[in-house]
Amino acid sequence: MAVGPQALEATGLSRPGRLSRLHEWLQQEHVFGYALILPALLLLTCLVAYPFGMAIYFSLSDYWVGSPGEFVGLQNFRDILGNEVFRRTVYNSFVFTAIAVTLKTLLGLWLAMLLFRSLRFKRLVRGAVLLPWVIPTALSTLGWWWMFDSLYSVVNWSAIRLNLIDPPGPNWLGVTSYAMAAVIAVNVWRGLPFFAIIVLAGLVSISREYYEAAEVDGAGSWARFRHVTLPLLKPVLAVVILFSTIFTFSDFNIVYVLTRGGPVNTTHLFATLAYQVGLNGGNLGQGAAISLFLFPMLAAVVFVQLRWIRRE
Amino acid sequence: MTRTSRRQFLRAAAGTSAGLASWLTLGRAPAFAQKRELTFLSWNHFVPAADVELRTQAEAFGKQANCTVRVDTIAHLQMPAKVAAEAQSQSGHDMYRTNADDPFLYEQQLADVTDIVDKLGKEGGGWYKFAAEACQTGSGWRAVPWFWISFPGTYNQTIFKKAGLEAPKTWDELLKHGKVLKKAGHPVGLPISHCSDAHSSYWSIAWSHGAKVIEADGKTPAIDSEQTARVIEWYKELFKDAMEPEVLSWDDAGNNRFILSGKGSWIHNPVSPYAAAVAKKMPVADDLNHHSSPAGPAGTHSAPPILSIGIWKFSKNIELAKEFTQFLMRKDNYDAWIVASNAFNHPPLKNLADHPIWARNPKLAMLPGEAEFAHPRGWPAKPSAAVRLIDVNYVMADMVAKAINGMPTKRAMAWAQDQVALAIKGQLQKGGKS
Repeated sequence: MAVGPQALEATGLSRPGRLSRLHEWLQQEHVFGYALILPALLLLTCLVAYPFGMAIYFSLSDYWVGSPGEFVGLQNFRDILGNEVFRRTVYNSFVFTAIAVTLKTLLGLWLAMLLFRSLRFKRLVRGAVLLPWVIPTALSTLGWWWMFDSLYSVVNWSAIRLNLIDPPGPNWLGVTSYAMAAVIAVNVWRGLPFFAIIVLAGLVSISREYYEAAEVDGAGSWARFRHVTLPLLKPVLAVVILFSTIFTFSDFNIVYVLTRGGPVNTTHLFATLAYQVGLNGGNLGQGAAISLFLFPMLAAVVFVQLRWIRRE
Repeated sequence: MTRTSRRQFLRAAAGTSAGLASWLTLGRAPAFAQKRELTFLSWNHFVPAADVELRTQAEAFGKQANCTVRVDTIAHLQMPAKVAAEAQSQSGHDMYRTNADDPFLYEQQLADVTDIVDKLGKEGGGWYKFAAEACQTGSGWRAVPWFWISFPGTYNQTIFKKAGLEAPKTWDELLKHGKVLKKAGHPVGLPISHCSDAHSSYWSIAWSHGAKVIEADGKTPAIDSEQTARVIEWYKELFKDAMEPEVLSWDDAGNNRFILSGKGSWIHNPVSPYAAAVAKKMPVADDLNHHSSPAGPAGTHSAPPILSIGIWKFSKNIELAKEFTQFLMRKDNYDAWIVASNAFNHPPLKNLADHPIWARNPKLAMLPGEAEFAHPRGWPAKPSAAVRLIDVNYVMADMVAKAINGMPTKRAMAWAQDQVALAIKGQLQKGGKS
């Protein structure tokens, strides 16, 4: 039988020690609840809130590597907005994200529908589809980088052998439009499985009865997709597009490995430019300002999408 | 037997276990048994045997000076962030391998080493000119020049011979030869992309044409000039008639692959392709040869990596670190280190440059002499935060690429001038306060 300290005290057996007083204090529901979330809160404070706070502080100071900064207000933001390279980066980020997320949505939906059918080796295929998402990005992007290499591009080599293009073929990473196409292609390749698997989960949860009812009403396959699948998938799609937009906007590895922002800054994204200016260039203040620029934009995207999901 | 009271026993036991615990957790012997420890942060050398030799010498010094020397090496790309963190936290290693701009960026945090620089210079036949440009700040020498890596021309002599050509002595000759070579199916290659080599070459070519990026005062952008316009026109012609578009996408290894594949006839690079070809016994090793970095109307200049040893002011072992630095620069030790690095490390002291390892191989014989033309990036301005920012932002490579992609030369220059001005402005806003 468990005997509380109060009971012990009442019997005059022993005065409660410091430990048992703590125990008692912890047993109160409102204290215990907070104690339970404390580890998670600590982790969030140290790993998320603190760096974020530091980034804000850096962005408002003229902090260079090696010398402490002073508060300069919004000077860094004014400076980067006045820089053509940054404006180009904003443009790149929107083009990159818009095209990549659209492609991932369309192809992901398509892939999910294919995976939904009863295939042979269903589990194996579903597992294999996840591979691009599982391999470390830096590593798989190196593979792509080799495929786009100017001298040894297997993409060009195959296309030339198949008589699809004239030698020497496109200079993938050296021409603006091709380089953007290349980084988008790799981003789509990598992000597609995430899309497909989550949409697949959404598809599985749709009750067969809706389809049967639609068939009875004479709906063809397009009409079933349009009026049954799509509306019921909307909440899942909205969440997955939201996540994907965030991931794509803040992509770093793919661009850093493939082009380092080149040719002539036409593939720089916020993260790669921030790294270049802040860490390599030593201008931590501006680097932080560049990466923080993402924040209000992503916040706006999240706000709009979450509202839309709630309305649904 | 003396009786020990309970209290005495507890006190003694607690003391012992606390001492033991701290020993265990710190992983080192308690202070009374401890030797002095000197710590040195360097990069993972491109020739790993050089690091092995460095550690051997560190151990030898440790025995001599009755201390332990710990040499930590990390990837060269991680160095700037690690060094920044040590400067920030005022803790870490006693000494580290600096980049050309570190003595200026960390002028306030690095110890003055003028005394040993003078001593070593006197004993070693004098420093090459670039040594002062890279390490001597307004307040004295903030690092001891350690080594540099030559940046000559590499050419495929078999291809050149077939075309009836000699190695180019000037950039104009390279253009002339390149036109012939491209027609023969073997273009030349200079990266015009987001990589460090692109700028190493740009600085050399610009300086040889009398062009600058920043004036010597370090405050005035100087890229918008007739000389730069000539450089851009030269690049445009070379790109059109002597190179292939792939140079727009190269990384630092792009030109290495290009010349090793047998397709390329000429590149501007450290001798690493030749070293790799010899090490891997590739047939192309016989074809490769080197020549001095080409000259221009304003002479020969080159922008090789210049690496030095800096000692943090926060170090408690400044004198010991100075001794160790002198130990590393001693002729017998330095010679052994050159051999271990397979002639990759070049000495900044004139007397150390006569090592037979270069003279023995006619393909490498001219390398140490390249020191006469070397400058840190940014020259004639001193290295600075603005120079670093311009360099890592690939401003000049982008300027040339813009002109090649059709932007009028004047506009491309104006764009670059603007970028240089912004970098300087950022630094000046800061200047005076730090």
